[in-house]
Amino acid sequence: MSAFLESILDPYYIQVLTLLGVYIIAALGLNLITGVTGMFSFGHAAYFAVGAYGAAILTVKYQFPFYGALLAGGIMAALAAVIIGFPALRLTGDYLGIVTLGFGEIIRVVFLNLDITGGALGLAGIAKESSIVLVYTLVLVTIYVMYALQNSRFGRALVAIREDDIAAEAMGINISAYKIKAFAIGCFFAGVAGALYAHLLLFLNPTDFGFAKSFEFLCFVVLGGLGSIPGVILGTSVLTLAPEFLRSLSDYRMLIYGALMVLMMIFRPNGLLGGVDLQRLVFKNKYKSQAGRSTAAGG
Amino acid sequence: MKKKGLLLTIMVLLTLALLAAGCGGEKDSKDTAASGSGGGDTIKIGFLGATTGDQADFGSKTLAGMKMAAEDLNKEGGVLGKKIEIVEEDHGSKLSEGVNVVQKLINRDKVVAIVGDPTTGITKAVAPIAESSHVVLLSAGAVGANVVNTEDGKLREYVYRNTLLDAVAAPAVVKYLAEELGWKKVAIVTTKDLDYSVGLTKIFKKALADNGIEVVTEETIMDKDRNFAATVTAIKPHQPDGIVFTGYYTAGGLFMKEVKKQGLDINMVGGDGLLGSTLWEMGGEAVNGSMVYCGFEADPSMAQGKTKDFIERYSEANNGEMPNMFVAQGYDAVMMLADAIKAANSDDPVKFKEEIKKLKNWQGVSGTITIRENHEPLKSPVYLLEVVEGENGQQFKVKAAIPVEG
Repeated sequence: MSAFLESILDPYYIQVLTLLGVYIIAALGLNLITGVTGMFSFGHAAYFAVGAYGAAILTVKYQFPFYGALLAGGIMAALAAVIIGFPALRLTGDYLGIVTLGFGEIIRVVFLNLDITGGALGLAGIAKESSIVLVYTLVLVTIYVMYALQNSRFGRALVAIREDDIAAEAMGINISAYKIKAFAIGCFFAGVAGALYAHLLLFLNPTDFGFAKSFEFLCFVVLGGLGSIPGVILGTSVLTLAPEFLRSLSDYRMLIYGALMVLMMIFRPNGLLGGVDLQRLVFKNKYKSQAGRSTAAGG
Repeated sequence: MKKKGLLLTIMVLLTLALLAAGCGGEKDSKDTAASGSGGGDTIKIGFLGATTGDQADFGSKTLAGMKMAAEDLNKEGGVLGKKIEIVEEDHGSKLSEGVNVVQKLINRDKVVAIVGDPTTGITKAVAPIAESSHVVLLSAGAVGANVVNTEDGKLREYVYRNTLLDAVAAPAVVKYLAEELGWKKVAIVTTKDLDYSVGLTKIFKKALADNGIEVVTEETIMDKDRNFAATVTAIKPHQPDGIVFTGYYTAGGLFMKEVKKQGLDINMVGGDGLLGSTLWEMGGEAVNGSMVYCGFEADPSMAQGKTKDFIERYSEANNGEMPNMFVAQGYDAVMMLADAIKAANSDDPVKFKEEIKKLKNWQGVSGTITIRENHEPLKSPVYLLEVVEGENGQQFKVKAAIPVEG
């Protein structure tokens, strides 16, 4: 499969598309936190970094098998999320946004000052393990898990918290427990994506995981459509591929990229696919009644 | 329900993938057509660097030098009868985009060599790609460790650089400090969050020990720090002869201001991270006497031959602006590649990379370069500059050109 793809796509496209897959996994994780549960997180790049550094250190310094490191990267990010989540998730809205921003910076600065991460010199010598097939297999797994989660009792509880936390609590939902679980799961996927990123780019530097990256992830989710899985995938694809395909315009490409963002927000304030129910569009008559229900569940 | 949703997502994904692949395929065929007809009479050299973002200054200056070199070569009929074409690509100072750019240059544009990146980090990240694709990567700016060799010490066959290495320059400068200026004890100030500074401090410490200069205190700062009162207070009781400052100019200028404010009459010395007018814009009079070493400085009064000609032509074309180190290194990088291609009589990277290895006392506009057995360049001389009050305010003046011997 991998060999077949390599024969029809040149390595440049494989690189760009693989990176896109990695970003999709991370963005879907953030979608669960911000889109579904309604918790603002400005620190997603930090969990991405935890996964990246965690997995890379395991494979480079302790000769861990890659798949083990991949899982470990995700678990480490989830653990970090739980530790930070306990104090932080007592807050809501803007306050939570600022706290996650702060924790994101703390994690980055810790990586900058540790010896094992190579500090500002960066971590090099990582083996190339992330193939396009592996990444997209994991994208499919992530999509499946996200759909299953959103359409479960757990997912509906999260949506209830997003819509009205007091009402949700009155219905017997343990808000803090659900929030922390959602945060941990979202960050787990960020960690897995980070591990893939590390084994794709083969070099890690703390400056790469700053606020700008967190903001990029948030843009993927918001521009695609908060809470919509196809929306997040589309948003990530547009915002990742646009700068690459606009290369021929050289100096103007970032200008167009910026204009693209402005236009999207003016004409689609809820995101590209925000509020659009694809199921309803495609299976209009047949699933009308069911589609109505999935709007409530999937947002 | 769940299955339908999944199906739908897969469909969306597939459409996207096809779209991307479709675009790719189309451009691909155009590209091969172009190189099919034009491949015979041009030699493509890629530029990897930033023309936007934090590192834009390094990148755009390197590119200016490269373009000038290509023009000079093409005026004389090109190399092996073929024109040199510079393919430029901006990575916006981002690591992940840098990797994309290299893949594009190699696979879409089919360059035979890439000049870049001016920074160590991105050069290190893309080196394995150049190595496995058999395309020469010549960095005109990377000075850190593990660029031309892998982490475990294996030499890379396709990765070279033409910069003045800190490992070469710092010992020469320290020797000068000890012998000519009589420094006996120094304070070292490291910028903890800069890879450049951390690496340079290590090199300086070894050189200081070798030359019998005592390090009386070591302090660390952060690049974004703006108040250095506490750090300077900690240095003051040790009464050093000078300060070795391994960070960048903004912090360096403000740091010296604090040093003079607290009544210490000493100067600092540092690497090319301090090279920039921001140093005195921040430090004012306090940085007069501060010393900076670098691989190239345009000083028309001292320059000779090739270098003098280069400085004159560049400043003529750029409204009197003097070429800086990155311009000179970008120029030399293209010239080195051209000479290697001529010597090998082939623009096949597999062949001409052997000629790069053999370069000895190669005369460039930024000095003489020898590629040593370990693939690292030995560049001479090291320019030690000093900040002085000139006619138009403060400026760098060459204090000494210290020759380096292998």
